[in-house]
Amino acid sequence: MKLLNVVTFLVLGIGSSVSAEESSRDTSDGMWAYRPVVKPTLEKRGSAAIDSLLMKHMPAGSKLAPDATARTFIRRATFDLLGLPPTPTEIAEFEASFNKDADAAVRGLVEHLLSSPHYGERMAQHWLDVTRYADSSGFANDYERGNAWRYRDYVVRSFNADKPFDQFIREQLAGDEIYESLADDKRSSDLLIATGFLRMGPWELTGMEVAKVARQRFLDDVTNSVGETFLAHSLQCARCHDHKFDPVPTRDYYSIQAVFATTQLVERPAPFMSVENTKGFEERRYLEQRRAEYLAELAELDALLLQNAERWFAEQKKDPARWYEAVRVVRNRANQETRRPDVFTAARNSLTAQRVPESEFPPKLVGFTPEQFGRERVARKGLERLNWELDRYEPVALAVYSGRTPELRSVNAPLRLPANRASVGELEETHILAGGDPFAMGKKVQPGVLSVLKDVPQPRMVEQLDGRRLAFAEWVASTKNPLTTRAIVNRVWMWHFGEPLAGNPNNFGSTGKKPTHPELLDWLAATFVEDGWSIKSLHRQIMLSAAYRRASRLSNDGDGSSARSPEQSVPYASFKPRRLSAEELRDAMLAATGELNREIGGIPNRPEINVEAALQPRQVMGTFAAAWVPNPWPAQRHRRSLYALKLRGLSDPLLEVFNAPAPDFSCERREATTVTPQVFALFNGQGTHARALAMAARVLKDLDQMAAADASPQSRDDWAIDRSFRLVLGRKGTDAELAMCKNHWRDMQTLQAKSQPTSIKPPLVVRRDAVEENTGEKFSFQEKLHSNADFVPDLQPSDCDARLRALADVCLVLFNSNEFCYVE
Amino acid sequence: MSNEITFSGCDRRDFLFGLGASCGSVALSRLLADDARAAESSSPLAPRKAHLTAKARNIVFLLMEGGPSALDTFDPKTTLEKVHLQEFVREGKQKSAMESGKRYYVKSPFQFIKAGESGADMASNWSHLAKVADEICFYRGCQVDSVNHPTAMYQLNCGNRFGGDPGLGAWVTYGLGSLNQNLPGFVVLPEVSYPQGGAANWSNGYLPAHFQGTPLRPKGSPILDLMPPPGVTREQQRKNLDLLAKLNEAHAVEHPSQPELEARMTNYELAFRMQMQVPELLDLSNETAQTQAQYGIGQDATDAFGRKCLLARKLIEKGVRFVQLYNGSWDSHDYIERAHGNLVRGVDQPIAALIADLKQRGLLESTLIVWCGEFGRTPDNGVRGGIAYGRDHNPNAMTMWFAGGGCNAGHTVGATDELGMTAVEDEHHIRDLHVTLLRLMGLDDDKLTYYHAGRFKQLSQFGGEVIDKLMA
Repeated sequence: MKLLNVVTFLVLGIGSSVSAEESSRDTSDGMWAYRPVVKPTLEKRGSAAIDSLLMKHMPAGSKLAPDATARTFIRRATFDLLGLPPTPTEIAEFEASFNKDADAAVRGLVEHLLSSPHYGERMAQHWLDVTRYADSSGFANDYERGNAWRYRDYVVRSFNADKPFDQFIREQLAGDEIYESLADDKRSSDLLIATGFLRMGPWELTGMEVAKVARQRFLDDVTNSVGETFLAHSLQCARCHDHKFDPVPTRDYYSIQAVFATTQLVERPAPFMSVENTKGFEERRYLEQRRAEYLAELAELDALLLQNAERWFAEQKKDPARWYEAVRVVRNRANQETRRPDVFTAARNSLTAQRVPESEFPPKLVGFTPEQFGRERVARKGLERLNWELDRYEPVALAVYSGRTPELRSVNAPLRLPANRASVGELEETHILAGGDPFAMGKKVQPGVLSVLKDVPQPRMVEQLDGRRLAFAEWVASTKNPLTTRAIVNRVWMWHFGEPLAGNPNNFGSTGKKPTHPELLDWLAATFVEDGWSIKSLHRQIMLSAAYRRASRLSNDGDGSSARSPEQSVPYASFKPRRLSAEELRDAMLAATGELNREIGGIPNRPEINVEAALQPRQVMGTFAAAWVPNPWPAQRHRRSLYALKLRGLSDPLLEVFNAPAPDFSCERREATTVTPQVFALFNGQGTHARALAMAARVLKDLDQMAAADASPQSRDDWAIDRSFRLVLGRKGTDAELAMCKNHWRDMQTLQAKSQPTSIKPPLVVRRDAVEENTGEKFSFQEKLHSNADFVPDLQPSDCDARLRALADVCLVLFNSNEFCYVE
Repeated sequence: MSNEITFSGCDRRDFLFGLGASCGSVALSRLLADDARAAESSSPLAPRKAHLTAKARNIVFLLMEGGPSALDTFDPKTTLEKVHLQEFVREGKQKSAMESGKRYYVKSPFQFIKAGESGADMASNWSHLAKVADEICFYRGCQVDSVNHPTAMYQLNCGNRFGGDPGLGAWVTYGLGSLNQNLPGFVVLPEVSYPQGGAANWSNGYLPAHFQGTPLRPKGSPILDLMPPPGVTREQQRKNLDLLAKLNEAHAVEHPSQPELEARMTNYELAFRMQMQVPELLDLSNETAQTQAQYGIGQDATDAFGRKCLLARKLIEKGVRFVQLYNGSWDSHDYIERAHGNLVRGVDQPIAALIADLKQRGLLESTLIVWCGEFGRTPDNGVRGGIAYGRDHNPNAMTMWFAGGGCNAGHTVGATDELGMTAVEDEHHIRDLHVTLLRLMGLDDDKLTYYHAGRFKQLSQFGGEVIDKLMA
């Protein structure tokens, strides 16, 4: 018997502590999540109902915080809904209207934010955390998923349009089946793109792996992902055997898996829609440059192999006649059919096909030196990898189709729709697998759903190739499915308050934490369905509640004397102060400097990341992945972090260190740990220094335009510092702060005047040293970074005088301040 | 309760590398002003009591990434000489594309010796390691689930094949803390090129970030952004830090319920100190010429790994709990003689020196050295270059070894079949290796758990057994 650790969890600002031991051992009510949603009968309606249900559980001795100030509220609400800070003008206007009529001002603000196109970006960030969005496939090859960005934008669009959540579910689970059921003129690419959800997990099939094992990995991944995302159920626990206290038997797990037994992976045609951002495709030319290089390299090596072959025949004293004939035939064919220069290999293959014994013609890569081995491999694998990247600009969706399972040996290029999906390949039967082993087949199962949810109308599950997922999606998106509705309202609640009502948004099962406010959870779920599964309506109800409008600390003047411990000073049912997420931090800096490019959607961009990480060699199967080369133009680089190319094998160190989750597992909630490397990234990193410089430049430009021309130097300095405070922190600086910062500015100017700032030019070439894997010998090659030739840097210290650089020191400090990094 | 692990609630006031003896001036004054708070400020890396009696205090994990071949290093197979280049056919539906085409048995190009008093089997090119053979416990019975590098690496390092879980070093520091609060408890010395699967191999996974492996990069800045951009002086930094402290101090007074604000402030001071300390730590020039020579520093073949091994010793001396060294790639599909020959030349002397050096300093007893790859290699191979004898990936038989730290030195445990195709004696799934390594550190895998995403999780995933024979 296993001893469970006693772990105490701080549950929100809301409610009391629940120990994990309690929640996992106490199975008496482990069933709460499966019971039908019961809407509490209340006199109060809307947001007031939320408050009354919260007050019901207010522990004795806890306190309520006063209302948040206008500035606190607008900063909180804007970060919550847009992931961006409010501008100084927006703050001033809101403060003015708040002072006139706080309720109306708050209502107006919430409406204004919900109608912003950036609302969808912020919600997408949350949703993509859960669905594990990445632009690459992970594991050994980490091939790019060139079309994944269209799914990311679909999610942004869906939230912006307030797409009913049940429809959002159906599209992601079965959009392709809906698509095919519609008349041609009703078909929208969005329906195909939506099924990118089913492709979000890391997956690959290399030649090393047994295909059936890889297929099973996909099935297990998608089954668990659907469970976690929509049903708040980690189903993987039921993969191997039934669990004593868990109402999800292994049979159910495989029944749900059977729903996906005809789901096949594909990068399929889906015309670009007018709502999609298809700008910037001309960057393709940099990839074409690389492609041309690889082809030239292979041509050179092919010529070398043909020479080596001649030498081989001479040394082996064998008759080369058949070989020359094969080479001649292949050459003629190659000219017409293929651009790839592999005459040597093709000639070998043709002799093999003619059943010429292997001993009679030269071996593969004959006579290569270790360096040539290496160069050949780098070019060949490089071409393979480029295929995936070039798919980015094609009207293709990362999607699925229903059909028989094709026989795959390895997947080294995007998979296209097969011609005969209903007749070619295996019609997969799903069996209960002992211990999850695909070769240990037990009883056969039919497509099905969770048997524990007796009150949800059972779908008519089909056994044909098509329609399994649509039937399943109808069951998931049923108004009667208590897991689905509770799961989403629990998430949205957490996105606002920092803590969910039920502690494990991905796991309502018997081991997950029970809700602190079950009636509130049910009220939200029921109201959500009544309101047509509208997420925006849910935001309104939550954000207009008294709870959300309260301050996050007990007193605003806060001398701290009344509170002996942090716990005692946490008010009941308030917004929990939170550190900005990694993406918000970066975006907020760009917003403050005015550099942020607010364009919505489109192909992923590549901002500058720590240059050592960008250029560090990254091993993938048989070669190195391409270096991280930033976009050449500042406006391309300064897009919101949501749009940055997200590679599973290479994360932006700045985002990573601030707890951006790795996309391997679904992230139900962000962590916000405080660790030393954050200081290195934010205080020393090139990125923050560049933002600080841009900030100082903006402020001095504003100063020239806005401050009174006849003002004294002293008051002009005051104005500049105050402007920095307003842009970075959203408030005016106090007199003490202005004095302190002005002194600092002056001191630093003296120091800066002594320094000789340099500017950095990005490299055009990076040298790669490797151990050639066949031979164990060292070799090196050059990787050209083509787009760096066009690189236009951000403002450089060498472009600025000491006064500006010294003001940038002040701005660097402001960007590092606790006040900037936290929202309350 | 001896097994309480109560970190989950404390994310508000922890920071990586601990709370050093000297806090930043601002934070220190605040801490001293409030004894109650100072008392609870213990670092998450503070040393913690083990569940059981520990045999080892530290681990040095030598990861030969790519998968070294046992048949060419420590598990000789004379039968292979007899069947050399005979055709081999793999049957069954578990065949992968790798195994299609013609395959042949391949004998080892290396000669073998019996080393030490224990008579351990070693390829003769391990001439330095042979001198410390009696310190070593060989294990030939380990089995894994994956034949792909990154998934096998994840399984070896994190217990599951898909990454995202905490690494072994993270678990160990989570369970035991670290002996030096100014350094990370889990340090990784990677190659210039990270292994397949990348930094997820030393991830903290769902454990708090303090337990994440800190890579000290062999080229460029050892820690990313350890230093400010060129042109920024220490004086400038100090002045900026002082302004930051003043602004933060005023803000913190108004936010008494957010202790993490204070932790952030302290971190800035710690980072400032680390800028000085890390380069000192990495400086090997104060080691004697003799020591440096012993590790092979200065010689082309051994310099790189010799530096890592010597640095590992320094880190262990400084109290770092878990040091993981990467070497590779050992993925020798072809030309095994040349490829493995070069690789062995690169690590043999440094590893032997590390064992001898630790022993001489009295640290071998408390330091467990682990040498392994992510899977084994096959006795057969496809035809690639025709004469390019090599080996493919083999999950069914992996040989590894241990030294020091309470291992069963001088013994060889487990055996493979006569061709080295699969483990047949004392065979264990890799989860049992994990359980055993934790056990040597005094940790019980079933107690070393963390509540995450609604359930208690552990390194072995769902439990495993100790391989008793590996322990002295």
